[in-house]
Amino acid sequence: MKYHLVTLGCQMNQSDSERVKRVLDGMGAQWTDNEEEANIIGILACSVRQKAIDKVYSKIANWNKRKASQNLITFISGCILPADKEKFLKLFDIVFAMRELPQFPQMLSQYGITTPAGLERDNLNPKEEMSFFWQVKPKYNSSFEAFIPIQNGCDKFCSFCAVPYTRGREVSRPSSEIIDEVKSLVEKGYKSITLLGQNVNSYGLDKKGDEITFAELLEEIGKIGENSENVFWVYFTSPHPRDMGREVVEVIAKYDCLAKQIHLPIQSGDDKVLIKMNRKHSVKKYRETVTAIRELIPQATLFTDIIVGFSGETDAQFQNTRKALKEFQYNMAYVAMYSKRPGAASYSWPDDVDLKIKKERLALLSDDLAEVSGTYNANMVEKVFPVLVRDTDRKKGYLSGQTEGKITVRFASEDHALIGQIVNVKITSASNFSIEGELVEVKELVG
Amino acid sequence: MEKEVPTANKIKTDLHEILDIRHLTDSTFVMRIEKKDLEFEAGQHVCVGPPNGIHTREYSIYSAEQDDSLEILVKEVENGLVSPSLKKLQKGGYVVVEEPVGYFTINKNLPADQEYVFIASGTGISPFHSFVLSKPGLNYTLLHGVREGEEAYDAETYEEDRYVLCTSRDNKGKFNGRVTEYLKKNPFGKEAHYYLCGNCNMIHDVYDILEEQGVSTDNIHAEVYF
Repeated sequence: MKYHLVTLGCQMNQSDSERVKRVLDGMGAQWTDNEEEANIIGILACSVRQKAIDKVYSKIANWNKRKASQNLITFISGCILPADKEKFLKLFDIVFAMRELPQFPQMLSQYGITTPAGLERDNLNPKEEMSFFWQVKPKYNSSFEAFIPIQNGCDKFCSFCAVPYTRGREVSRPSSEIIDEVKSLVEKGYKSITLLGQNVNSYGLDKKGDEITFAELLEEIGKIGENSENVFWVYFTSPHPRDMGREVVEVIAKYDCLAKQIHLPIQSGDDKVLIKMNRKHSVKKYRETVTAIRELIPQATLFTDIIVGFSGETDAQFQNTRKALKEFQYNMAYVAMYSKRPGAASYSWPDDVDLKIKKERLALLSDDLAEVSGTYNANMVEKVFPVLVRDTDRKKGYLSGQTEGKITVRFASEDHALIGQIVNVKITSASNFSIEGELVEVKELVG
Repeated sequence: MEKEVPTANKIKTDLHEILDIRHLTDSTFVMRIEKKDLEFEAGQHVCVGPPNGIHTREYSIYSAEQDDSLEILVKEVENGLVSPSLKKLQKGGYVVVEEPVGYFTINKNLPADQEYVFIASGTGISPFHSFVLSKPGLNYTLLHGVREGEEAYDAETYEEDRYVLCTSRDNKGKFNGRVTEYLKKNPFGKEAHYYLCGNCNMIHDVYDILEEQGVSTDNIHAEVYF
């Protein structure tokens, strides 16, 4: 029995896919890269963009055609809006929420039962189910980069987002499990570990005092780094500015293994847009956090997410976002044009910013970002940075990697054994989004 | 005989019995629901949906923290995802209720005599109803913007001198006009903390007025209703 899995969307889905693979491997199924030869084929859906959902419908239409000539079981999980779930129940053989993964073997063995509701089992609440889900050991896709889910769900209810309706309320994974997984990965020589969650820095809050806070969790992980001879970088994504306190920044500053790169989504630089987005933070609150980062971790790189053309966004409000981008000097901004998502609260509001204007705003922000990040990158020239080599580069004869601050760097080398290693690279040239360097031999890592 | 509980389509999401439905207007009603072991802080919301539907929506909790049951204030929205279904439910029926969450709460670090100005449009009064019932002695003024006087939901809950009903389509309110007009004519000062809940346009307009009046954004708290 061979299986294939299509994973759409964010790093959380990527991480979930590692657990799905473990469960299928545990049943004796074998992975195949070729979906044509798979007997079990699934998809981890993403509801953030319509394009990803359209892809699900396209895939299942093809797979269902194949069923006429082939024995095939299809399944779907991931972020699925209630309205899509209803349709998927008719299209897929098995539909389940990711927290129900531990029951997946049972669903497959009782193939014909389309949802876990039909299974005879204990009636667990979502939080209990998540605790079983997290106990499924992942089959890591990489030998040097790993994702560790620490929290699932969202209580923030941003008006543009459907995640609270697809993943449910915030549930924190027990810290003992997270710490054990970090230790295990460090012992195996992993170089990059990313703590994942919809709101990582809300970690522990749902336990109402019965679990450590996110800052305390980072502290525990920092101590692992202090007691290890291995060099590794720990990242986290995504934090919500509302819960990003100074104590988190202080811990990052304190420990070498906590990567000096922070992804802090601002979404808009205008307070009234932020209110309409139900973001629960103001630009002032955001500024306080960035000020703490600049004060305590001056070398940190800063990434963000921005939505342009949100319902009712005026030109003056957009100009405030441009000001924010320049003020906060981002190294990277993932800018998206607003589009209505069925299920999200803003779906009923007019999508009243013309597409042409959205495109203009996106282009303006891209130009601003190029200017800001280009200045930062130019200052890297002639300096030596530790770089985690991740892959071969598109440029022939080059390898590509990332600095601790997640700045992508390429350098001439055909030594593929370096992939997965941290090496020292002297930056020789830099443009807005492209940096080149040369491999240098330094006895100790710098940075 | 034991009462038959329907199966929730949202697997394992808890079902709560509807204990009472109290109609306030043709389209607006208070649904009293079994609380079970849910605890909340005044100002938080719960996601509520019909037992056999596929959607839930957020509703601010209307009742007091210490009450034995949970109340939500519902206005039926034409073509809404959830409210038309909720309106069809009856006492003795069930609703899906997810656990309370939210940040639109009173800051515990503020002094006991802190002045609060609560500004609501329509059913946006819901969290303020919960504030007032949960926290006796609160130093507040509540501005409630509605179209007509009949929308003064449970007005008797509030002390008369603390409640300002602003009606825009009839003259049954204490003030004939919008809450924004009242606020322009009657500023409360920079020291007060302002809590705004309801329609987004109202919130944006009030926000502008407060900024003009020199109120710090730290003192403005908003909960947008959709």
